[in-house]
Amino acid sequence: MCKVSVIIPVYNVEKYLRQCLDSVVHQTLKDIEIICVDDGSSDSSVSILEEYKKQDARIQIICQKNAGAGAARNAGLRIAKGDYLSFLDSDDFFEPDMLEEAYQTAETYQADFVVFGSDQFHMDKQDFVSVSWVMRMKDIPPYMPFGYRQLTDNVFKTFVGWAWDKLYKRSFVLEHDLWFQEQRTSNDMLFVFSALVTAKRIAVLNKVLAHQRRGGGASLSVTREKSWHCFYDALTALKQRLISEGIFWELEQDYVNYALHFSLWNLNSLAEPTHTMLQEKLCGEWFEELGIRGKPDGYFYNQKEYEQYLELMK
Amino acid sequence: MTKVSIILPIYNVAQYLRECLDSVTRQTLHDIEIICVNDGSTDESLDIINEYAKKDDRIVVITGPNAGYGKAMNKGLDRATGEYVGIVEPDDYVSLTMYEDLYDVAVRNDLDLVKADFYRFSRNEKGDMNLSYVAIDSTKTRYHTLLHPCEDPSMIKFVMNTWSGIYRRDMLEQYHIRHHETPGASFQDNGFFFQTMIYAKRAMIIDRPYYRNRRDNPNSSVKNKEKVYCINVEYDYIRDILMQDEAVWNRFKVMFNWKKYHNCMFTISRIADEFKKEYVQRMSSEFRRAYSQGEFTKDDFTQLEWSRLSMIMEKPDEYYNQNVKNAAAAKKKKDPSSAQKELEAIKNSTTYKVGKAIMKVPCAVKRRLTRK
Repeated sequence: MCKVSVIIPVYNVEKYLRQCLDSVVHQTLKDIEIICVDDGSSDSSVSILEEYKKQDARIQIICQKNAGAGAARNAGLRIAKGDYLSFLDSDDFFEPDMLEEAYQTAETYQADFVVFGSDQFHMDKQDFVSVSWVMRMKDIPPYMPFGYRQLTDNVFKTFVGWAWDKLYKRSFVLEHDLWFQEQRTSNDMLFVFSALVTAKRIAVLNKVLAHQRRGGGASLSVTREKSWHCFYDALTALKQRLISEGIFWELEQDYVNYALHFSLWNLNSLAEPTHTMLQEKLCGEWFEELGIRGKPDGYFYNQKEYEQYLELMK
Repeated sequence: MTKVSIILPIYNVAQYLRECLDSVTRQTLHDIEIICVNDGSTDESLDIINEYAKKDDRIVVITGPNAGYGKAMNKGLDRATGEYVGIVEPDDYVSLTMYEDLYDVAVRNDLDLVKADFYRFSRNEKGDMNLSYVAIDSTKTRYHTLLHPCEDPSMIKFVMNTWSGIYRRDMLEQYHIRHHETPGASFQDNGFFFQTMIYAKRAMIIDRPYYRNRRDNPNSSVKNKEKVYCINVEYDYIRDILMQDEAVWNRFKVMFNWKKYHNCMFTISRIADEFKKEYVQRMSSEFRRAYSQGEFTKDDFTQLEWSRLSMIMEKPDEYYNQNVKNAAAAKKKKDPSSAQKELEAIKNSTTYKVGKAIMKVPCAVKRRLTRK
């Protein structure tokens, strides 16, 4: 058993994969395993992985037919043996002490998971841009550990619904039966938010340790054209989880507000003709299904989002 | 079955312990067990317990490394075998008929809990004792009648303590009522108090004082200025317990916030100056969130309480500057009408008026929602 299992889904990222792997193999925390799951890449990604594996015995490679990052992370999760789990993306890169610092914080607070800071690396500017919304410190208690009930704004907006800026205790993940949704996009949100509402002990590390690459080309926005309904499937799955945990009654308002936010974000980032198709679906069925429709004005935290909703429903 | 198990969580109290143990071992109710839980004391406390245990076989000694008040109390609760359970802090003491009288009332009325008034005391250098009587029901209207705490949140307003009464052990076991065990934390009696209140079906309070609560122990956690957020952590724990059941939460959420408010205000006065500003800010965020979730309304507080709370929610920094920063100086002057003046000052400030206007909106929305 090692301290951390790093799980990296890999899909056609030959341009960035070396930078990602270099920043992982050179982590100051040495007692780790690195599970790379190739998701059916058609470029030279696999040969890059093989090359790194030759030089570093901690690297394992799993190959699967293209099934999306969710399925890839689950494949890694199934064979992981570390005390903690780190789910990284193959086009991002990391500070060398990321795992060590996150691991130390997790151990200190006996945390179910730790959230750490991150920023964005913009390809066009070749520069780092800080982003405050990845961890809203003003809504996080000044003491640790804490649970979601100690967050003082919408619990689904204090942290982002992606997994790569968090370190999860593996026993916690197994105990609560947390898995990634095996769909093209929005496959990590259910995992991240289910963990958020089941964790008794959350810790944060307010230090930028990861860099998310932005503007690196195709990424997922193109995929989203084909899988435009994935976000809705993620939202309904999250609602089911909240109901089965017996906490939907207390989180309904946060959930509805997040559902509106996430729906609009998806809608706004889609090009035609998918845009119009999604808009019709939202206004015809999904706003109703998500519990957004029929709520009074004061129910919504964000006035701008609510105004866009009203505009769409005209 | 032993009639009453009395639990003493003991940590470095050698100087007070004999007075306490004398008062417990000499109870007129003989059929008791006395569970002394030594929580890693570094003074002679353990020697004193052992000395008493040699002379009195009703004394059970449990000892272990220091793990905190909550853990020590829970060890005692786990070990208790009596029909009822009482708690005595080892720097306090009790009058000799306390458990006979309380047990008698409890059995005759088939009670889950019974609580009595008590004295707070301190001694000066000369040894003169200063006693002050505490009526746990300040309205003095609810003594000696059958009460139903699980259905009646107003009982949370009784002066909070866990030691002036006894609890039916069956109830403690059925609902697994225990203390929060976070090491190094304080105020872990709050969680126990809330649990006994939300689960007790039959209760009574008695307007006679039996328990003597010491106020001059310099080691008391009440005097610790460094433990800043322990009240908040304890109320996080209580919130989690109450929210296990939507109906229980809806019944008790107002009193939860009322009690928490008073504890937070006490914390502001207790902690060291350098922590106060951040504390007021955190308190502001927590209550703003609770208010936006409809957990309480203006009507759940007195006018003075609400004028403070609404200002803390809306303008924490202004509240800090006006009411906290210079509180020490103001205290020295001790103007009896200062509370009234403060109220007037706050009400005349623009922030209060603006805050009031802002808050009217979500209030109205909540009301509409709950009516549906």
